[in-house]
Formats: sequence, structure tokens, C-alpha cells
Amino acid sequence: MLARLRSPNLVPMLAVALVIAALYYPLMLLANVPVAQRALDSGAALECGSALECATQLRSPVLPSPQQLWRGFANLLFPLDSPNAIPLNAAVTALETLVGLALATVVGFFFAVGIVASRAFERSLLPWIVASQTVPIVAIAPMLVVLLGQYGVQGWIPKAIIAAYIAFFPITIGVAKGLRSPDPLSLDLMKTYNASSWQTYLKLRFPASLPYLFTAFKVAMTAALIGAIVAEISTISFQGIGKMLAENSRASDVVATWVIMIASAALGILLVALVGWLEKVVTPWKR
Amino acid sequence: MEALKVGRPSPAARPLPWLGVVAVGLGFALLALFIWSWWGRSDLAGTGQKLLILAGFAAAAYGVARVANFLAAVRTGPLVGFIPAGLTLALVLLTVEALLRAYQVPAGLIPTPTRVFATLWAVRDVLLQDAYQTVVLEAFTGYLVGCGLGVATALLVSRFVFLERGFLPYATAFSSIPIVALAPVLVKMMGLEWPSKAAIVAITVFFPVVVGTFRGLTEVSPLSLELMRSYAAGEAQQYRWLRIPNALPFIFNALKLGTTLAMIGSIVGEFFGAGGQGLGFRIQIEAGRFGFDIVWSAIIVASVVGIAWYGLVAWLERRMTGWHVSFRE
Repeated sequence: MLARLRSPNLVPMLAVALVIAALYYPLMLLANVPVAQRALDSGAALECGSALECATQLRSPVLPSPQQLWRGFANLLFPLDSPNAIPLNAAVTALETLVGLALATVVGFFFAVGIVASRAFERSLLPWIVASQTVPIVAIAPMLVVLLGQYGVQGWIPKAIIAAYIAFFPITIGVAKGLRSPDPLSLDLMKTYNASSWQTYLKLRFPASLPYLFTAFKVAMTAALIGAIVAEISTISFQGIGKMLAENSRASDVVATWVIMIASAALGILLVALVGWLEKVVTPWKR
Repeated sequence: MEALKVGRPSPAARPLPWLGVVAVGLGFALLALFIWSWWGRSDLAGTGQKLLILAGFAAAAYGVARVANFLAAVRTGPLVGFIPAGLTLALVLLTVEALLRAYQVPAGLIPTPTRVFATLWAVRDVLLQDAYQTVVLEAFTGYLVGCGLGVATALLVSRFVFLERGFLPYATAFSSIPIVALAPVLVKMMGLEWPSKAAIVAITVFFPVVVGTFRGLTEVSPLSLELMRSYAAGEAQQYRWLRIPNALPFIFNALKLGTTLAMIGSIVGEFFGAGGQGLGFRIQIEAGRFGFDIVWSAIIVASVVGIAWYGLVAWLERRMTGWHVSFRE
């Protein structure tokens, strides 16, 4: 973290952030003043006098003002364990995402080993594995949840399964690349030692695929998070970021929707950072 | 490639695997026989019939594996290369059809493939209108805007070091944001009609394109840059002759990823409100009504469009970057 702070990017990053922050307020006013003017013209009983004043306190602003966002955060962050606050819901979504990622890793490894070990497997299944990604997987989410619900699988498990369904693809491709990454010399050495193909996988191919696995994890983590949130949105759920998004979207609570959007962005960045940290721990030789 | 193969290298000339071909034919015939015999019946299948399905599946799977192995050893055109995948699809569809009929799974839960295709044909007009709304208006418009802006931003950022340091970390961070969360906000901002979904798609494809293009523009070999300098090439010429050609493979990778993202983005956007049309809207409405045959039909339409779109970008890539190392045998 300290090394990150000393990086040459800090000053430019701050500058860009400042420019955006400076532009935000005028932009917000520009977007909201016409709406406020219309509200005033229609004779609505507002507590503010002019359109400029009203622009920062609209019920459903085009762009919420900083004060509104601040208040929204204060309202949604506490109490920490309330079913309507962000922390608990974010934790549920994070759990679904991580379980989904674990499932996806198991499936991804299975497919990757199949692809690398058998040409027939690759020729018959790889096109469909690729095609499964051009299918808008989100479309399957509502159906899958209803289906699993019929057989008594409810709560967070279907969401984890949908997350896994989206996340298995990058892991499959990444691990397959990684399993093929050892150079021919090392493979020949294994042959020299008369290693069985099982030993070759265990001692050479799996360790070699670890760096690729983590690169894939970073992509898969975001994919799994999107899967979990979409699953929560498109189904009846009682917990999770997706549920909050759907609720507040239906209730037209614009400020809350913005706050939840920022919170889920933070969750995404946090989860990917977690993968980065894990990578440092597991593959120290890469540094 | 030879060194990467596990086990014994296969002899180059092999006889046609007649056993495999026969097994495929036999397996498919058994499965088809069961489906035909159970057509229109509403009682559960007995143990004998289930064993028949299992035998058919096992024979066909063994045959497909044999045929695929044989075809993997001979280098042929793309059409022949697709045979194993096509056989696999046929096998899965036949088996699913047989199992659903054997266990009498209600159509409200999982419709049989034959039923889905019948529905697809019956509601084709509605789905075509939905596809026009979702694909042409929302996904494609957003895709073009997002990719265009992405490439332009990358060009700008790669030119100025200050921008690179200040902007790029944000772009990488943005790539790990679940885009779904943007959808409700944008739908609220821009209304229920297609522009809000196009905006979602544009933002979704923008970041991967920026990051990919930037990498391509900056990861040029120092030797080539030195050569450019020694010819006293200007900044514009460097871009024209070195950086942009070098970036093309990276750009196309991002564009291919973008096709999938665009379809997903437009469909998820419609979950948050649509003007009564669109594939995502249709899927949500029908899933709520247990009309899964229509849901599957919509998914088939979306997948066909997605695969065709991906194929188009891949074809463009071959046309424009045929010189690249990944296409050389």
C-alpha cells in the first residue's frame, strides 16, 4: 500500500480526480436546473425559492448533488446489520460470488484438463463452451432460479450457481492455456523420469498454470459478481445488492440507486484486489 | 504442438474408424426410436426404456469420441472440423428430449427441444421485432459508440504521459465494476426507450476497449521505436506505421469480448424497464409466467445473433490482421 502511494501515478491521478470533481457540480446543476424549473413552473410546493436552489434537492435528480449522496450514504450504511443497509447485503452478495467462483474453479479445471488431455474432447466440446459465452447468460438466470426453486433449492445457492455459470469460462480458458504453458524441455524431462501423465499434471502442469489461473480469476471475479447481482435482480430475493438495486429502482429512489451503484463498484474493486493479494501469497516466485 | 500431446503420438495415416461411425448411428437410432415410441404418451418410462436411453447415449458418446479423435488427427477445413461439435449438439438434444419424455417433466418446467423449436417458429414475428429492438437499436448502436470512443480515448491517453498516469488506473479499476449496477441509474436518467440501453452498452464496452487498445499502442518493441527515430519519423508517422498496426490484434480482442458484453448489457438493461419490446423484456415477462418455451426461443435468437456477431468480428480480424503471428501455421 505504501509503495502504491509513492508511485508516480499519484499526482496525475489526484489531478484527474480534482478535475472531475470540479466539473461535477456545474454538470449537476446543468442537468438538474431545467427539471427544477419545470417543477417550480408547475406550482409544486417546494421549500426552495429559485431553480438554482432547488437543483441540489430534487426528489429524483438526473445527477444527485454531493449533499444528497452524502446523506444517502449516511442513511444506507447504518446500522451495519440491518436488512436494509448496504454492509449486510454486500456481504451476502460477496458470499454468493465467492462460492460461485469456487464452483467455477472446480468445473473450469475439469474442462481445462479435458481440453488439454484429449483432442476429441476439445473438438467436441470447446466450440460449445465458447458458444455458451455468446449466449446472454443473464437470460437464463430467471429461468434457472424458478427451476431450482421447484426442487427446493432456494436462497443464495441458485445465485452462486448462476455466478459459477458465468465465471467458469474465463477460468477454463485460462487454466487450459496455463496447462499448455510448460516448455517442451520440462515435459521431456518428465518423460525421462518416466513420470505418468498424472504425475506430469500434478508436478509440472498444475504449478505452471497457477499464474494463468490468477489472471483468469481477476476476470472471473467480476463476471461472478455480475452473475450474482443479476441473479438477485431477476428473481425473488430477500438479501443482496441486487435486491436493493431492484427495490430502489422500482421505488424510483434515485439517490439510493446511485449510492448502491457506488457501493457495488467498491465491492467489485475490493474483490479483485483480494485476488491480487492472494496471487502474491500463492505465487511468490512471480515477483 | 507434438510435444504438448499426452501419451503416444498418433500415426499420421489411420483407417476410418468404422466402429465409431457405426456406434454413432446405432446410438442416435436407439434414442430416436425411444422418442418416437413415447411420442404423446403421458406415463413414466419403465426400467427397460431407461436402459435403452442409457445404451443409446453410451454408444453414441463412444462413437462421437472415436470420430472426433480420428478427425483431430487429420487436418481439414473448418466445415469438417465442425463435425464433432455438431454431433455433440445432436447427441445432447436427443438425450435431453428422451430423458424429459421418459421422466415426464412438465413442459412448464423444462420444455423439450422439439417443443422449443415449434414455439420458436410460431412466435418468430414477435421475436424478430424484439431482436431488432435489442440488437440493432440498443446493442449495436451502443457498441459502435463505445468502441469508437474507447479507441479515441486510448489514442489520446497513449500520446500524453500525464493522462496515462492519471486516467489509466481509473480505467483498470472501472473494468472490475459490475456494470449491472449502472443499469438502473441510466434507465432512470434516460428513460425506458432504447437510448438508455445503448448508453449502458457503450459504457460496458468502453473500458475493455480502452485498456486493450492502450496496451497495443504502448507495447511496441523498443527496436522498432529506435528505427522510427533513426528515420526521423514524426509522432503521427509513428502511430500510422508502427503503433496502430501493432495495436490491431489487441483492439480486435477487445472488440470480440465487446460483442458478448453488448448483448448482455442490452438484455440486463431491459430487465430494469423497457418500452414493451426487446429480448430481455420478453425473457423477464415470460419467465414470470412460466412460458419457458418462449424464453428458450428468445435465448436461441440471442445466441444465434451473438455467435454471428462474434463471427463477423473474427472475420474482420482475419481480413485486417492476417499478417499477425497467431494466424500463421
